[in-house]
Amino acid sequence: MADELKFPTNGVRRDADSLDESLSALIRDAYAPPGGEAYWPGLEQRIMARVASESQVENGWWSVLAPWGRPALIAAAAIFAIAGVINQQLVDTDNQLAYESAFQSSTPDVVSTSEEIMSLERGTDGATLSYFLSH
Amino acid sequence: MRIPDEERALAEAARKGDQAAFAGLVRLHQRRAYLVARAIVTVHEDAEDAVQEGFVRAWQAIERFDPSQGFGAWVNRIVANAALDITRRRKVRSTEELNDALQSPFRDPAQDAELKSRLNDALAQLPERARSVIVLHDIEGFTHVEIGEMLGIPGGTARSDLHHARQKLRTLLQDLRG
Repeated sequence: MADELKFPTNGVRRDADSLDESLSALIRDAYAPPGGEAYWPGLEQRIMARVASESQVENGWWSVLAPWGRPALIAAAAIFAIAGVINQQLVDTDNQLAYESAFQSSTPDVVSTSEEIMSLERGTDGATLSYFLSH
Repeated sequence: MRIPDEERALAEAARKGDQAAFAGLVRLHQRRAYLVARAIVTVHEDAEDAVQEGFVRAWQAIERFDPSQGFGAWVNRIVANAALDITRRRKVRSTEELNDALQSPFRDPAQDAELKSRLNDALAQLPERARSVIVLHDIEGFTHVEIGEMLGIPGGTARSDLHHARQKLRTLLQDLRG
């Protein structure tokens, strides 16, 4: 290959296994951007235009919302806490209702028996019964 | 690693939101960043997209950059990631596109036409990662570790890829080398 091709090497550490310098130079040349040195100022401008655009976006709607960030977080935390309390209360109420429902369904016999005793106590037979029970 | 005072000052100013300082960093590092991207995506337009995207991401993350570290190594990794994103989006890259990319009008017209043609074919036949590794190492001078960090592979894998890529490239160009 042509040894006369000389390109900057970027401090490439060459070893026994490295590609020929001329081949490296050819690949470097093939991968060079179009336009030579004139390309770089244009690329810098395009990059900085995008950076400026991104900054405007960042300083646009977000900068309006940014001051509200901390209050919004506090409000969200408060809402979350209140929702937790309400949820706990609903769970307690459900448990209470379930307990009462179960208690009521299992007590009618007891209630009726005690009501019968009370009615017996109130009647004449009840008075007799009370007499015998107390003597 | 010794960081030049100019770069450190620019990086510290950029971290405080100074766009002019960031432009200085772009000026210092865009060439290497472009070559990193080009090694991965091969096509000029994709390489420029990756460089732009990489520097924008770097600007967005500049507060997290440690000025005591090298800005170049940091931004090259970001650019490499942007380039890899592009290759993932365009997984199938045809040989024709690569040849178009290599047939740049800015090539030295005195170069051997047959060699250029064979080089195009040979590079196109290398696996994508192997091509990136050989360009980043033998053309750009990055170490295996640096290449591994950029491509998200172990340094040993980069070394192995490089060895196989060189062998394959030599085999493909064997008759021209004699």
